[in-house]
Amino acid sequence: MIISRTQKFIDGAKKAVPITLGYVPMGIGYAAIAIKAGMTPLETISMSFLVYAGAGQIIAASMVLTSATAMTIILTNFVVNLRYFVMSTCVLNQVEESNTPLNILAAHVTVDESFAMFSLSEDSSIWIYLGIAITAWLSWCLGAGIGVVLLDLLPVIVTNSFNISLYALFVAILTPAVKENRQIAILVLITAILNIVLSQFLGNWSLIVSTLAGAGIGMYIVDDKYLMGSDD
Amino acid sequence: MDYIMLVILGCAVVTFIPRLIPALFIDKLDFPPKAEKFLNLIPYTALAALICPGVLTVDNQLWYIGLIGAVVAAGLAWKKVPLGAIVILTVIILIGVYSLVPFF
Repeated sequence: MIISRTQKFIDGAKKAVPITLGYVPMGIGYAAIAIKAGMTPLETISMSFLVYAGAGQIIAASMVLTSATAMTIILTNFVVNLRYFVMSTCVLNQVEESNTPLNILAAHVTVDESFAMFSLSEDSSIWIYLGIAITAWLSWCLGAGIGVVLLDLLPVIVTNSFNISLYALFVAILTPAVKENRQIAILVLITAILNIVLSQFLGNWSLIVSTLAGAGIGMYIVDDKYLMGSDD
Repeated sequence: MDYIMLVILGCAVVTFIPRLIPALFIDKLDFPPKAEKFLNLIPYTALAALICPGVLTVDNQLWYIGLIGAVVAAGLAWKKVPLGAIVILTVIILIGVYSLVPFF
């Protein structure tokens, strides 16, 4: 039993490798902004460990740089990171072999990438999820650690090119479903257009509104039998 | 409290609470089939919303850089290239694209 848990955790960690390829450079980018904003190396790394929210942290560090009030920064983070409620619900609804303490740990390490990667997984064991998500989390902290040490050594073109890596991952995860199922493809297109339009009016709220509205539309245009991660 | 410590701890709390709530209540919930379908659709719609329009801001000056990256990644995924290789190849191709930008 212990061996199979460990094995599943390792399998999950292997699945996280494409995520780490994006997280380490992105973590370095975050550290660059945080240090520029006057945060110490310890504060920079602690934030990655405790907050663990890619975009949220970069926005927070940028706001520290412009001397925004703590309350404004915290409220902005709340709005930007509210989507994790939806992702955490999805992940925890999918996991098997779990209990409340493991769920709480899993909740803290739930981000866009671990959630997306797990939705592809055929095995829904909590240990697979923790393998994916904890590896991703540590690589994000490692990126911040590397960033505070060797800041500004990387040329801008290289760091800019790494900015694409997480989007490449998202596109790569989504493409097979779009290729195989026309209804999902239409739903993805509708949601993308919806978010492009709503982001003009709603700013940071747009992502979560579009995600939920898209899923609501999907209830009517996607057949039940085609759903990813469904057991039936 | 120190300004930066307040920011870090405040952000940690408001980020953790939305993640935590499902962990405390999920065992007590038994979602009806309609809700299961809704939750199963979320990965697709969340990814669509994460990609568009965010991918166009990969480079703040050159919007097409992100678009090229997305098209390359989609093309590689279409050909069933493994995820890790897609990420690496897309980054390498973008470094190549950047080296061509000064010529246009």
